Amino acid sequence: MEIKKLETLPEKVIIPLRQHRGAVCEPLVKKGDRVLIGQKIGGSAEYQSSAVHSSVCGEVIAIEEAAHPDGNKVMSVIIQPEDSNESVAFSACKDVKPDKLAEFIKESGIVEHYGMPTHTVLRPKGKKIDTVLINATSSEWIGGTFKTPDDYAFQMIDALKLLMKAAGAKKGAIVLRTDDKESIDAFEGIEVDKKKLKVAPLIGSRNVGYYFNEQNSDIVIVSQERIFGKKILNFFTYRVTGRKVKIGCDPTDAGVAVCGIRSAKALYDAVHEGTPFYDTVISVEGVSNKMEYLFVRIGTTFKDVIDSYGYTGEIGKIIANGVRTGVAQYTDQVPVTKGTTRISIQKPEEVIRGESIECIHCARCVDVCPVELIPSRLAVMADQGRFDECRQIHVENCIECGDCAAVCPSKIHILQLIRYAKDAIEMAYEDMPEKESSNLKLGCGCGGE
Amino acid sequence: MTYTISAPPHKKTKLDFKTLNYSKIIALLPLCLAAIYFFGIPALGIIVASVVSAVVTEFAIQTISKQKVRVADGHAAMIGLMLALLIPPEAPLWIAAFATFFAITVGKHVFGGIGSYIFNPVLVGWVFTRSAWSGFMTPASIPHIGQFSDLILEHGAGLMVGVSPILLIGGLYLIYKRYIDWRVPLSFFATMIVLPQALLFISGVMDLIHKGSLNPLMYMSQMFAVLSPSPELSYSMIGIVFFGILFLATDTATSPITKKGRIVYGITCGVLVFIYGYFANYVDGLLYGIFLANCVASFIEINTMPASYGTMSCAEKAYRRVMDKIPSSLKFEVVNNE
Repeated sequence: MEIKKLETLPEKVIIPLRQHRGAVCEPLVKKGDRVLIGQKIGGSAEYQSSAVHSSVCGEVIAIEEAAHPDGNKVMSVIIQPEDSNESVAFSACKDVKPDKLAEFIKESGIVEHYGMPTHTVLRPKGKKIDTVLINATSSEWIGGTFKTPDDYAFQMIDALKLLMKAAGAKKGAIVLRTDDKESIDAFEGIEVDKKKLKVAPLIGSRNVGYYFNEQNSDIVIVSQERIFGKKILNFFTYRVTGRKVKIGCDPTDAGVAVCGIRSAKALYDAVHEGTPFYDTVISVEGVSNKMEYLFVRIGTTFKDVIDSYGYTGEIGKIIANGVRTGVAQYTDQVPVTKGTTRISIQKPEEVIRGESIECIHCARCVDVCPVELIPSRLAVMADQGRFDECRQIHVENCIECGDCAAVCPSKIHILQLIRYAKDAIEMAYEDMPEKESSNLKLGCGCGGE
Repeated sequence: MTYTISAPPHKKTKLDFKTLNYSKIIALLPLCLAAIYFFGIPALGIIVASVVSAVVTEFAIQTISKQKVRVADGHAAMIGLMLALLIPPEAPLWIAAFATFFAITVGKHVFGGIGSYIFNPVLVGWVFTRSAWSGFMTPASIPHIGQFSDLILEHGAGLMVGVSPILLIGGLYLIYKRYIDWRVPLSFFATMIVLPQALLFISGVMDLIHKGSLNPLMYMSQMFAVLSPSPELSYSMIGIVFFGILFLATDTATSPITKKGRIVYGITCGVLVFIYGYFANYVDGLLYGIFLANCVASFIEINTMPASYGTMSCAEKAYRRVMDKIPSSLKFEVVNNE
């Protein structure tokens, strides 16, 4: 896999002050200030937040609301870069104490690709984490700065140990994809604590718990088929650990922290080199015949990314984070953020224009659903506002992968209808008192203990 | 520069309702040609009358009720063509025209159009005309497979659909392309094979009981009788049964959508068709059998809703209950999950 580096100096860099779920950061710089690479430009006292750093050296030209790839507008620091690599002094801090590590992660601005700040995943308030998983099933995030696959494997193991240390967890696992030969080869036979590890497949009831015992190790490497979707965490946790996360809860309630490769790598860099999270690798689809990988600084606009490939054709649609569930952008002046994984471009003739007709009950959606739902029925129920009936047929299990809508011959917007039902149910039950809700088996069954 | 924005997914299958209908029509065309070759011009007349009547009726209904006219999606034409194949070629043209008129109006639009009807419109049209003008609608002969060549050209066919079972192979191609579902045809066909063989076994055993045989080996030997094809099979493996399995039972709106439900539905169809066919004939038996199976389709559907993922099924629960009592040292299976 070849990874290019974006060399040209962009005209401007837009760094949103909110690249995570949680509180918006306060800007720490003013208009006209000169900032350096790696300088902290946004921070918040709230726990549920993550620091933001400048990715370039230059002058702050504005602090204003700017478009964000999620489709909303967010207060952003706009920097005009200058041709200089001047950076703040990075110092490695290898001996951070476990209890300080969470604060360190927050200060380094490390955020999961699905939006949660990593330290809130590892140290959730009032919950205990005992297992840390690194989801490495999406190999397009690999690389950037890894020289060889072995280097990648070694750094991941190290990052996993750091994550476990930060979370205070005893066990950890790295989950690979079964058809990803490159990384399986890299991990095969790797030595951890003087024990050789094998990449073990997750089959049937053999989940990580079994392999912890079998390999007699606290760290295992397993492989499974790829799953994708917007809300895969609960399903992923179930598949890997066998722990069923209750409806309305997240994996941290079951004692599992799920991290991505990207944040693991960012943590490794932060600890070993002292660099905060300000650059990343994204994949670009549609600018050439194959998938392109690009190493960019956070804040680079989509326009600069597309222009760097010399793409001059007409663009019908720009999509952030994949064609299945991604958000179509109305402007190309949106920045790459910590949560951006892919930019897809469609030509005007590729843009689909379908008209929904009635459901013909062909059951294609049922056949493709990875979590055994009946999407067509959910869509009908949601359309008629019968949300309780949606709940009875487990609408919360939906991982929002969008497969059902993609295969529908009637072109029904199943994904949107399911999201609508989920949101409506969430709103209806959010102000339910906790005790009562656990008695009635509504809302989060964990009772927030 | 302006960009299109829309809700995800941004890439969808090219397959649509129109393609599904036209592919079924194309899959049936070889059979139509064989029927015209076999029965001559009257067969062509029936097909044309039926398809034209279906399209005109649909157009009229959608115009009168101020719906969007969607004749071009081919659904009406498909119903017309399928119904034509179930009408004897000797019947007058107005029977064909009226049958499709009834199928489209009462069968399809009264129940709410595409995707909402509970009975397959083809069967609604057929059942109505069969009951109202049974003289015209009774086929001249009921075919059965005597030798292998009957699979290629059936000389005893009374209906157009029976002339050549082998030409229905287009339906198999549609299954391969996933244009039609595989669960219903598979379980339907398996039931149609298993039931006659089971009957052979049961009747063999009953014979022995009547004779008062006490030798258990004699009873055991009846097990092997299952391996030889039962005479019932030569009556059931005819063109119309294959047509029913591949094209009528798989109609999407009238079959359940759950995975388990589709298998149960196929078995239900098989059982009903076999009972009808055994006591009467397989031509009427198939059509009435599927018609009755349509009645229970939604009942099957709501009773086979899948549970939330990770929920144990009854069999798994029973297995767990037993296995949990056995000490772990005796077991070979995976138990030590932490």
